Amino acid sequence: MKAIRLKIIAVFLCLTVGSAVSLAQAGNSQQAGAPQDQTTTTPSPDKGSQDKTSPEQLPNAPSSNAPPPSLKDLGFPPEATQSNAKEQALLDKRIHMLKIHQRMGLITTVPMLAAIFSSAGATGKGKDTTGRDLHLALGAVAGDLYFITAYYAIRAPKPPGIETRGPIRFHKAMAWIHGPGMILTPILGALAYDQKNNGEKVHGIASAHVPVAIVTAGAFGAALLSVSIKFYED
Amino acid sequence: MNKKTILAALLLLLPAFAAADSQWVLDQSTLTYRVSHPLHQTEGVSHAARGKGVCHAGQCDFLIAVPVKSFDSGDSNRDIHMLQATRGAEFPMVTVRTRIPESERTSATILVDIEVEFAGQAAHYKQVPLQLVTQGNQTRISGTIPATLADFKIDPPSLLAIPVKNDVPIRLEMTWHPL
Repeated sequence: MKAIRLKIIAVFLCLTVGSAVSLAQAGNSQQAGAPQDQTTTTPSPDKGSQDKTSPEQLPNAPSSNAPPPSLKDLGFPPEATQSNAKEQALLDKRIHMLKIHQRMGLITTVPMLAAIFSSAGATGKGKDTTGRDLHLALGAVAGDLYFITAYYAIRAPKPPGIETRGPIRFHKAMAWIHGPGMILTPILGALAYDQKNNGEKVHGIASAHVPVAIVTAGAFGAALLSVSIKFYED
Repeated sequence: MNKKTILAALLLLLPAFAAADSQWVLDQSTLTYRVSHPLHQTEGVSHAARGKGVCHAGQCDFLIAVPVKSFDSGDSNRDIHMLQATRGAEFPMVTVRTRIPESERTSATILVDIEVEFAGQAAHYKQVPLQLVTQGNQTRISGTIPATLADFKIDPPSLLAIPVKNDVPIRLEMTWHPL
């Protein structure tokens, strides 16, 4: 009889102490106001799966027999959870090229603005062609830089299945204006340059040089601003 | 005598059986990251998260996962840049894990430790306040994880040579229901 009583007490103690320990662990996680502590771990060498954290690594982890939920339990299609090194390389190349595009675009604005401001000195009727030559040189530099800028945007690889949304649509639409404009402007400029050097008044199609240049520069500026400054709230 | 012992043991074990395993499933979610730049305030939103909670012995383990690709900032170019900067093709999922005591289910605010795995890095956030609202058999959980780019070793993307701020808070709004 004594032995039985002892057994019952032992079982009761085991269960009571076990529950108390479990509750105490739960209670430890509730220390409100404790300072934020953020740590990082080394990158996962297992690229195929990110679901690698053991229960022991989890915060507040008490001993538990039930397995914690895993990524497989969530029912994502396998292709959504698998690492794709090829796509990452494509993205890296794209962003590298677009960074150069962005940088070159900013650099292009300098000779482009200088060409616009120097245009005032290019209209003189005298034999001194310095103003015209300076305007021509600045325009040529702007044109060269412009086409280098365009190359990096056109040749940047695009990941498949991406629909173009947002301000980039306006940025791309502007290219249909400033692109042809950057071809036409120097051609018209060359005609106007010859006419001026021959002592003629700029006439014919060459007289479109200034308005075409203004529209081109305007479209270029709008394209630049569209991806730099937020015009609207979503 | 042996019968009495077994009976007593069974009676004492009853509470353990009463705290049987239960599961929770994520119904709806809105996860929002916020990026700050002197010229822009950008938010990327995803509704594609899936989650599961497993309760055992008074503790509930929760796992929430969301594809990095599913975040939409309204600008496809920016989203592709985000995908590249966070190595989203190499590490396509963001996972959030936490453990909540089952007894806390009725609390309005709880403080939990959260582990976020993202961009091939794991970051731990301690004592993150989460708000709980229970309506019927659904529980809405909301809160903000104070994430930073440095936590995940992400180089801050820049626009016009100005990098974005390091702070990238992630707002969680989720509705869960028990299975």
